[in-house]
Amino acid sequence: MSEDIARMSAELASNPDSLVFLRLGEELRVAEQHDAALKIASAGVERHATLADARDLLGRVLADAGRLREAQDQWNEAVRLEPRSLGARKGLGFLCFKSGDWDAALDNLEIALSIDPSDKAVVHGLANVRTAVESFEREQGRLSGPNFSGLEGAKDGMLLADDRGRVLGGGIVDNQGQNRSEEVCAQLAGVVQEATRACKMLGLGNWEWIAGEAEANNLHVTRPTETSLLLLVRDRSIPAGRLAIMADKAVASARQWLQEQFG
Amino acid sequence: MSADLQKKLEEVTRVRGVMGAMIVGAGDGLVVAESLMEGVRGNAVAALAASLFSRFGDASSASGAGAPKFIHLQADEGSLVALPGADDVIVVAVTDVGVNVGLVRLEMQRVVEAGT
Amino acid sequence: MKAIKTVEPWALEPLEKFLAEASARLCLLTTPTGQVIAQYGFSRAVDVISAAALGAGIISSSREMAVMLEEPAFDALNHQGERHGIFLAEFSSPRGGLVVLIVYGPESSPGLVQLFFEEFVRDIDASCPPPAHQAPVLAADFEKELNDNLRTLSGGDV
Repeated sequence: MSEDIARMSAELASNPDSLVFLRLGEELRVAEQHDAALKIASAGVERHATLADARDLLGRVLADAGRLREAQDQWNEAVRLEPRSLGARKGLGFLCFKSGDWDAALDNLEIALSIDPSDKAVVHGLANVRTAVESFEREQGRLSGPNFSGLEGAKDGMLLADDRGRVLGGGIVDNQGQNRSEEVCAQLAGVVQEATRACKMLGLGNWEWIAGEAEANNLHVTRPTETSLLLLVRDRSIPAGRLAIMADKAVASARQWLQEQFG
Repeated sequence: MSADLQKKLEEVTRVRGVMGAMIVGAGDGLVVAESLMEGVRGNAVAALAASLFSRFGDASSASGAGAPKFIHLQADEGSLVALPGADDVIVVAVTDVGVNVGLVRLEMQRVVEAGT
Repeated sequence: MKAIKTVEPWALEPLEKFLAEASARLCLLTTPTGQVIAQYGFSRAVDVISAAALGAGIISSSREMAVMLEEPAFDALNHQGERHGIFLAEFSSPRGGLVVLIVYGPESSPGLVQLFFEEFVRDIDASCPPPAHQAPVLAADFEKELNDNLRTLSGGDV
């Protein structure tokens, strides 16, 4: 037994009302001490029935034990108590995906991403679900071609998102070849919210674009429509002024593409 | 805050169209030093610019571009520019719409070199 | 979003705005003696009561230290930790002094919390009605009122 687990067990024994059961249960679950984790989590729910985190913990423990229906009940209850429970949203996203309810999986994971855009498990989970949905729809002939087709340079270094941080088209691939589109989109929505708020509070009017020079690349964020964002990323050899001109052209293409796709 | 650093900030503010220049704590969004025209809310500029810089940094890092060296938010009635200094601070300027951003950036860089 | 629980309806709108703008995770609005007016994010009544008592204690200690130093009252107290920060401030309202305690995460900052706290004080000033009449110190239905308030603030988990 790790020192932490022993210490937390002693703390819980001396004060059964303590919320330390949340960390203790999780440590036991991660250490694969399933029976002990279940005991702690169940007792926690009994004592703190209206605490969403307690329901989430029990959901995770039950899911590990393969008791998926019961896990789902706990996560549903957690979401009822606290609609922005990150753990419960992740759990429900996973279960819905497994059961083939892809729309519900996407809904839950998108809410999870809005709660914590930096959660890598959510970012990757969402990307996997979207890929699965897209390939299924392509097989069924519901998608005519790759997303954002016809927009020059859209395969890498150009990303079209909605104002809630969801990918509409394009893609951003990092130096290791990892597709980072989901994560970048989620972060971008935060940038735009902050830009809108700053302009309003500082009396600068409406924001038009944001240009940034970073260690490896230059970036340009602009707004093709009221509800969409376009990010252009190019290496440092493309100066900011030229990037702005490229972005203007991309905005025109993006508007046309959005019109074709969504009317 | 050295007198030299304050002087450099004032030189940023002297560029035509600049309404204020500040040194801001990047992590806490609080004012370290400022040279502002009347009517510019220093605490608001500091908090909002630091938050914008931080969020832009998250997006930039997520894309693989790395940490930002300069950002320029352009709005229809003005702009906000920021660049990082040493010791977890950022240098920020608020400008009106017709400003020479290149010149502003040069003066802001001098603030950084003067020892932020 | 977790609901704000309040025993004073006039506090609701200013608090909602403040919490959203400052990205607060927990919030407590109390009187300087620790009587809770509104809370957001706390799951259990016992945590609300403890935080209110601690906040009131810190405000009271700071005030005494200011007196010892012959300083005007301190504006606000801000501690920024690795994962969370706390902001505690006392301010005037038409109902007398109030204390606000905010816990925020890395998505916010002391600067943002301070900035929107100033707006919050103005909003409370505008929305808070002046006190009606001086109620007896211990009203006849004191115990019932206390329990009703605790139930409201804790969502039933008293």
